[in-house]
Amino acid sequence: MLQNFGYLAPKSLAELYAVLKKNSGKAMILAGGTDVLVNLHNGCMAPTTLVDIKKIAELGGIKYDKKNGLSIGAVVTCVEVAENKDVIKHYPLIAKAVGEIGSPQLRNRATIAGNICTGSPCADSSCALIALGASLELSSADGVRTVFLKDFFIGPKRTQIKPEEVLTRILVPADMAGANFGMNKLKRIKGHDIALVSVAVAKTDKVMRVGIGSAAPTPIVTKDLAPNASLKDTLAAVAAVAKPIDDVRASKEYREFMINDYVEQIYSDLFNGKGR
Amino acid sequence: MLDTIPSKDLKHIGKAVERDDAIEKLTGQALYTGDLEFTGMLHAKLLRSPYARAKIKSIDISKAQKLPGVHAVLTGKDLHYRVGLYLVDKHIMAKHITRHFGEAVAAVAAETPEIAQKAVELIKVEYEELTPFLDATKVFDKDVPLVHPDLGRYSYIKEVFTPVPGTNIANHTKLRKGDVEEGFRKSDYIFEREYTNPNVQHVPMETHIAIGKWDIGDRITIYTSAQSPFTVRNLFSFSFGISHSNIRVITPYVGGGFGGKAGIGLEPLVCCLSKAAGGRHVKLQATREEEFSLLPCRSGLTYRIKTGVKKNGKIIAQKMTMFWDAGAYADYAVNVTRASGFSASGPYEIENAWVDAYSVYTNKPFGTAYRGFGHVEFSWGVERQMNYIADQLSIDPFEFRKINAIKPGSKTMTGEVITDHSGNVTKCMETVAKAINYGKLTAGEKAREQKTGMKIGKSVVALHKAPAMPSMTGTVVVLKLNEDASVTVNHALTEIGMGTYTSLRQIIAEVLKWPVERIRIPIENDTDRDPYDWQTVASKGLLLSGNAAILAAQDLLDKCYDIAAQALRAMKCDLDHDAEKVFIRHKQESFITFKQMSVGYAYPNGNAICGPVIAVGRYIAQGLTNLDKENSQGYPAIDWTYGAHGVITEVNPKTGAFNVIKVASAYDVGRVINEESVRGQAIGGMIQGLGTAMCEGYIYNKDGKLLNPSFTDNKIPTALDMPEEIECFAVETPQVDGPFGARGVGEHSMIAVCGGVGNAIEKAVGVDLTHMPIRAEDVWKALQKKSEGQGKKLKAKKK
Repeated sequence: MLQNFGYLAPKSLAELYAVLKKNSGKAMILAGGTDVLVNLHNGCMAPTTLVDIKKIAELGGIKYDKKNGLSIGAVVTCVEVAENKDVIKHYPLIAKAVGEIGSPQLRNRATIAGNICTGSPCADSSCALIALGASLELSSADGVRTVFLKDFFIGPKRTQIKPEEVLTRILVPADMAGANFGMNKLKRIKGHDIALVSVAVAKTDKVMRVGIGSAAPTPIVTKDLAPNASLKDTLAAVAAVAKPIDDVRASKEYREFMINDYVEQIYSDLFNGKGR
Repeated sequence: MLDTIPSKDLKHIGKAVERDDAIEKLTGQALYTGDLEFTGMLHAKLLRSPYARAKIKSIDISKAQKLPGVHAVLTGKDLHYRVGLYLVDKHIMAKHITRHFGEAVAAVAAETPEIAQKAVELIKVEYEELTPFLDATKVFDKDVPLVHPDLGRYSYIKEVFTPVPGTNIANHTKLRKGDVEEGFRKSDYIFEREYTNPNVQHVPMETHIAIGKWDIGDRITIYTSAQSPFTVRNLFSFSFGISHSNIRVITPYVGGGFGGKAGIGLEPLVCCLSKAAGGRHVKLQATREEEFSLLPCRSGLTYRIKTGVKKNGKIIAQKMTMFWDAGAYADYAVNVTRASGFSASGPYEIENAWVDAYSVYTNKPFGTAYRGFGHVEFSWGVERQMNYIADQLSIDPFEFRKINAIKPGSKTMTGEVITDHSGNVTKCMETVAKAINYGKLTAGEKAREQKTGMKIGKSVVALHKAPAMPSMTGTVVVLKLNEDASVTVNHALTEIGMGTYTSLRQIIAEVLKWPVERIRIPIENDTDRDPYDWQTVASKGLLLSGNAAILAAQDLLDKCYDIAAQALRAMKCDLDHDAEKVFIRHKQESFITFKQMSVGYAYPNGNAICGPVIAVGRYIAQGLTNLDKENSQGYPAIDWTYGAHGVITEVNPKTGAFNVIKVASAYDVGRVINEESVRGQAIGGMIQGLGTAMCEGYIYNKDGKLLNPSFTDNKIPTALDMPEEIECFAVETPQVDGPFGARGVGEHSMIAVCGGVGNAIEKAVGVDLTHMPIRAEDVWKALQKKSEGQGKKLKAKKK
């Protein structure tokens, strides 16, 4: 780690907001650190201050109730999410998606909020959460606002979050509890790898959505589809948003082919009752 | 040293003796170069070229020099030395021109790595970007940029290599056996195809690291993670004109090399920085990213093979053209061209053979030795070509291989006659074929296909390799008898993880008839302490060092018998020994113990004789010749290790995704010295081979910039990527001059894995693959081609 930076670890939200305000634009929030430390190491970022939020009790915990749905705190690790009983019972797609993030070592440390805030188009958690219609609670000294995850991303590694804001909680709506689902991720090796494409489908008796990773500058989601939408309509909705590119990981054509293949597979599982 | 002793009569040989470095490594007690700290030691960081080829118009180091804590800043202009093993073509840092992306342009030594990094960022370089030369196959095009316009002035080993000044050819190896044109005329069918491989990184767990100290009077001390302290010393001495006796090179534990740490690496730079910093220790550890583009990789290869075959499946002529993409420097890679040139046919007999192998300079990170030394790359082409031809002739590919396999009486491409003791490649192939139920699907496999929708395919491939080394490669083992009748061994074959030291202990213990626990070989090597060894390379360590160990152990016994003969007043021929003592065979109560004679024997009255016991075994490769430069005929091979893989894959016929279900491997190792070491080499190399086959390889943009310079996009296999089943076999056809009949198997395990996987995929879904690595996307593309009819079975081209 070849750069100097300050380190602050506020113990309350109020303290955190004050710190962010004071260091506006120069602070970087540190949760799991699995992206931040790599970026520091590579010199991709040079914050004057790292603000460690792990000591703030309000940012922990996973809450679920029938009325409000699921709420995941900003410092909850991937492993905590994947092992949480409510997540497994009501939102198994989330458990599946966070299980795809990195390697076991990384999942012990990385947070799902961090996975989102990095803003990568290939974030494994985002393609599932976006299909579930998740939203994010963004907080600052000025108050709290809630934005849909699908609106949160504005470009590769760029999000709506303001310099003085912090992602405090991830909210998944109650009406998506118990959704049928399927998820597939294309990798170059069976060990940990970045998604070449990833596809997550969530379906209730009211709506079906397909979330897609690595197919556009940001994680994307189809328009809301009818729960009995045909495969053809589903693929058309996917094609309307998925615009993959060529890069060292895969070609545009292979990505397009695999997105369709995954959608078809998951669709077939869901509608033949093989899906959950 | 052919030994026909049945295995059951051997006490230590063939047993799974535990590795002597296992506990230190597993507990973290083993000290690697990175663990070493010295008072006042400085840390180095580098500035590297962002361009494949650029003129360095100016470098401003003034700000870096002024940064507090900085002790030395060097650029290529300050360093007037060229380094290299076979062809001395490399400056320590880029001088006036950069020749590849990632090449070092300036270096800083400072009190902390942080200060050094900051200073590097203060250096300003003005470049003028030049057109790079990137495609090795365009070497004969007119008016291509020359990577080394001064090639004609470089020194090189003239007896062996042929650079072509005025071109980008660093070496041209020519092999001519029989009459290839006549062979083609007699052939019923001729097949000509091209196969390609990218550059590949070695990725040892421990990245390159060196600590250098340049003292007053030009006394140099180097600690380094290298495959040979003696080769580092020799090349350093050559480049700097400093006596070998003034240079001390120490290799602590080494965390893997795979060829990337052969020859010389970061050592000259840290020493120059030390000199500039007034003699302080300077440490430089490469980052993982620097491993990919500062330090050497494996050369790429484009391999054109034209094969003439008779109807009965016998190959009678083959013309082979190799374009080795050696990158910006070819100091070591020229020998890859030579060594792969003389074995380019694989383990098959070719009556009329013609090879043109070119090491081609390009503006890319440079190639060096890599486990297999060229054989992995050409094997891909050979094994795909064998399958292609077999398919065209409607002969089973395994049968086709057996028809053409090299066997006793066959002549290798250099004219060497294979004997009963050379090893048995057919037996290796038959062993693995049986292990994978070659040629059919079992009921279980059929059920699996039904269940998964995947298609299962099987293949058998074969391989061979001889050590690639100078004809006079030698080594020494010294045994020092301790007071308690244990032995400390001085030997400088670097133990980089292959396990040879444990095998050497077994060999010494076997000859001495002592418990193996009484033999210790310190893992660290030191040119001031240990006797000469060339390098840990080429899979030659066990054979050469093993023989030296036998001779040293015999010498130790001989010296102990001398003492005993005198002390016991007996004829030497009447003496015998056990683990504790030398005794008179017909009067066993008359003996002296090894302890009694260890540091000199004293009679009961105090009179002493003989002095401390030390024994020496020296061994050198014998009977090898330099190859004739016009036709490559001669004797390059001290031994040939043959082997085979049987591979089962399953392939998704729609997406191209595939799994390697099983790999069975067999090697003719002559004699197993340490069962677990053979298994370790067999499995480790096979997995490294899978990496090369499935996912590894450099990707450049059109300007020669490396696009995947780290693990993010240069994937290597993980534990999850292992085949479901791995099986290893040793075939034992004793090597006449091998220790207890043994031969090396360090590299062989990775050589033919790629062809095996490619052929099994082809068998499963009928796609034709010619480029390595084989990613799922490549299989998908080939499937698309097939469904478009482009990959349809061609009618064999009747001549």
